[in-house]
Amino acid sequence: MSMATTIKSEFERLRNTEVWRTIFRSGSGASNLHRAQAVQQNIFLHLFSVKVRSRALEFSPTWYLGALTLSTFFILIATGILLMFYYHPSVPQAYADMKDLQFVVASGVFLRNLHRWSAHAMVFLVFAHMFKVFYRGAYRPPRQFNWVVGVFLLLLTLLLSYTGYLLPWDQLAFWAVTVGSNIAKAVPFMGKQIRFLMLGGNEVNANALLRFYVLHCVILPLAAILMVGVHFWRIRKDGGLYVPEKKKL
Amino acid sequence: MDNNNQPGPLRSRPTLRELAYFGVVSLVLLVSLAIAPAKNYFSDWRHYQKSYLKIAGERQSGTLVRSFQGGIRQTWIAKLGVVDRCESCHVNLTGALVGATGQPFRKHPIIPHDLEQFGCAICHRGQGPATSVEEAHYTTEAWEQPLLPARYLESGCGQCHLGPLQGAPRLNEGRALLSSQGCVHCHIVAQPDGNVLKPEDNPPPLTHIAEKTSREWIYAWIRNPQSYAASATMPNFQLNEQDAADISAFLMAQSTASPTSHIEITTASTAAAPGADASTEAATLYGASFCSSCHAVQNEAGNLVGGNFGPELTRVGAKVNPDWLRRWLSNPAAYHPATRMPHYRMDPKQVALLSGFLLAKKDSDFLANAHLAPASADSVARGKKLVTETGCAACHQINGVNPPQNFAPDLTHVGSRALAQVVFAPGMKHNLPDYISAKIHDPRSFGPGLKMPKFTLGESQIDALTTALLSQTDHAASFPKELIISGGRTSNYHPGGEAGRIMDDLRCLSCHAINGNGGDMAPDLTWEGSAVQRAWLEDFLKNPNTLRPALIRRMPKFNLSPGEIKTLTDYILTAYQSPGFDAQTMDAHALNADAAARGKQLFYAKYGCQSCHIADYKNDKGYVGPALTSVGNRLTPAWTYKWLKDPSALRPATIMPNFSLKDDEARDLTAFLMTLKAKQGGGK
Repeated sequence: MSMATTIKSEFERLRNTEVWRTIFRSGSGASNLHRAQAVQQNIFLHLFSVKVRSRALEFSPTWYLGALTLSTFFILIATGILLMFYYHPSVPQAYADMKDLQFVVASGVFLRNLHRWSAHAMVFLVFAHMFKVFYRGAYRPPRQFNWVVGVFLLLLTLLLSYTGYLLPWDQLAFWAVTVGSNIAKAVPFMGKQIRFLMLGGNEVNANALLRFYVLHCVILPLAAILMVGVHFWRIRKDGGLYVPEKKKL
Repeated sequence: MDNNNQPGPLRSRPTLRELAYFGVVSLVLLVSLAIAPAKNYFSDWRHYQKSYLKIAGERQSGTLVRSFQGGIRQTWIAKLGVVDRCESCHVNLTGALVGATGQPFRKHPIIPHDLEQFGCAICHRGQGPATSVEEAHYTTEAWEQPLLPARYLESGCGQCHLGPLQGAPRLNEGRALLSSQGCVHCHIVAQPDGNVLKPEDNPPPLTHIAEKTSREWIYAWIRNPQSYAASATMPNFQLNEQDAADISAFLMAQSTASPTSHIEITTASTAAAPGADASTEAATLYGASFCSSCHAVQNEAGNLVGGNFGPELTRVGAKVNPDWLRRWLSNPAAYHPATRMPHYRMDPKQVALLSGFLLAKKDSDFLANAHLAPASADSVARGKKLVTETGCAACHQINGVNPPQNFAPDLTHVGSRALAQVVFAPGMKHNLPDYISAKIHDPRSFGPGLKMPKFTLGESQIDALTTALLSQTDHAASFPKELIISGGRTSNYHPGGEAGRIMDDLRCLSCHAINGNGGDMAPDLTWEGSAVQRAWLEDFLKNPNTLRPALIRRMPKFNLSPGEIKTLTDYILTAYQSPGFDAQTMDAHALNADAAARGKQLFYAKYGCQSCHIADYKNDKGYVGPALTSVGNRLTPAWTYKWLKDPSALRPATIMPNFSLKDDEARDLTAFLMTLKAKQGGGK
């Protein structure tokens, strides 16, 4: 116990130093005002509510599905950046880079599998999250706009998953994207144009690979980060997490 | 309640149970995270490098251990797309550690290429960039080309070396079989330089077949060619009785009269002289004409004796019509313009003797079961349909049936056919070499509707064919052009003029090559005019004898007239001269008795020529090279001198070594050889 007390007092001392205050703007103090300032005045924390009901931190209201989705997203960003160090989005090189990840990059298989499984997990968790929100009725006013943001985030997740599928440039990837882009072609009136825009040509080839790479690594992640920001900010502004009243037995 | 500035109630502290859960989960996470670096550390290549260093340490090879470059080692050749990491485990390919024998430390056998020049997988297949034993050698989920079994390894050479290659006998045999078994009648086999393999089995035209043989023989033959002649090239189409009867009916019906069918060859002399004398005389004639250089006959022990260049003659009497045989022996080209058989100048008596001798080679059993109902119009029509469907016209010329186009799969890139495109027979291993060899071994086992017939091939022939086909890869087509070594022998040279007509009549090019065209059974004659002396050549054409005591195949005696011999000799001595080669350059004074005496010393003592050649029948026992007892009559001094200096410059395929003779040594040896002359009156 004394150990915990020591750590606590040391932390308080740290929060009072000038360096800490210069960076985080808030000082020490355990009053509600101090605590609120610590959250509000910090760029990283200000997205979150100053106060949460302790009930909201329990497992049952959320099953932590949103937080888990965010964790997989972070894992994907981290592993994705590492994978970008080893990958060339070019036809002769892309598949060879997969092989090199397997054969010569230290823990390369682990890296790739982590990225892949996290992606699968994220898609699963996003759906689970939305079901949970839907069946709990958490989409109702005042959170109706955040539901819409969530739908866009679902679409971004699916697009990220789909664009990433082409990058290994194996048979599975090639045919998946061939089929997918042919589905896009079925759009009435402008299907062909959409497909052309997607692939940068009329068949899955070097241009499609480059397009999917840029979408997967730049445009879609930036859009997702932006939307995640909006999503979190709106949680706070819409009155925190939706926590239904505990039913009295 | 929250409007004061005091903190609200904190959640209770974690219980011990919660802490325990947290601890266990963290531990599991940590362990699972440790798996990846651990797998990385305990990799196959690290294991093998460690044991290599251990062996080296035990053998006290300190410098080897110190200079060893660990880590993943690779051969990277950008222009060939090669990234081979085999050396990561096979660390001793150069044999630096002597005596390390077990794989992966075995030394690579000496090959004509630097090991770094092409990497490993271009010849051995397998997955070059892989760094684990499993992935590098075997078929895995994402790799379908396992290591090539050693017996097909020469296919690697064949990707660049498109012609015959010394040191790759199996590849050479396979390529020769593709031509000689007639595979390339139906299948296209194109090489990276654009050369398309051509058939060399010379199937006879069937346009006048009714003159040559009977419908019963055709029926029995197409049902099972090998029951007529064990060595027959024609494959077994596994026809049923009805189909064979219909096809034979059609073939007889489509036959027309040959241009010489009206010529009657007198049979008077055979009729006049039957009996033991005649048959001995005929056998002598068969021997003297060297028929067995090309044609084989089964002897009583069941072994084939003779060459395989022409059809086997064991049961020829059961096949051919006597009149046709006599016309054929008198002039084969009249019946089959593209035949490889020479036109012997035989007189009617010789024709009668020889045909009588051949007609006696009968086997009454062969046609015993061929009882056919007379051919009906229906049968002929059905036969024509079968002939068209079976693709008979791909090999044989048949009236009214065009040669089929794109009849069989193109085999140009069969050596890298994707396994996804291959239909395997049940129970066979899913890899390309096994598929190809099973397909050659028994094509119909892959499905009853398939058209490819069954060939009679031995195991080693199937291996050779598989090797040749595996060399037909698609990446060979994308290799840099300077790597491709074409096969040569692609010219269409034909001698011209009167001599050309005689040479064509004698089918010289069936056996001899001249200026890149012709067979390889007999010496290349491109520079023959520089090599030989006129008197010898005339004598030889009059009565050929072999120069090499160990050879069975010999040049036949064609019974040329003196006029024909003069024409041929003039032409050969004039036209077939080596460029920049003057027969007069040899200084006659240099070839004196002193020089000859020194040359004899060199011949017997310094260079031991008698181990391969015979200069004196009494003492020498060399049977490898040609006998030199009368070389002074045969060769020109200039040719001999140049030959001694550098044999392979004159005949690239010769096995005679280059001894790097000094000028005066070559001159002395030439002087000695020129003294070796036949005794007066004989050219032997």
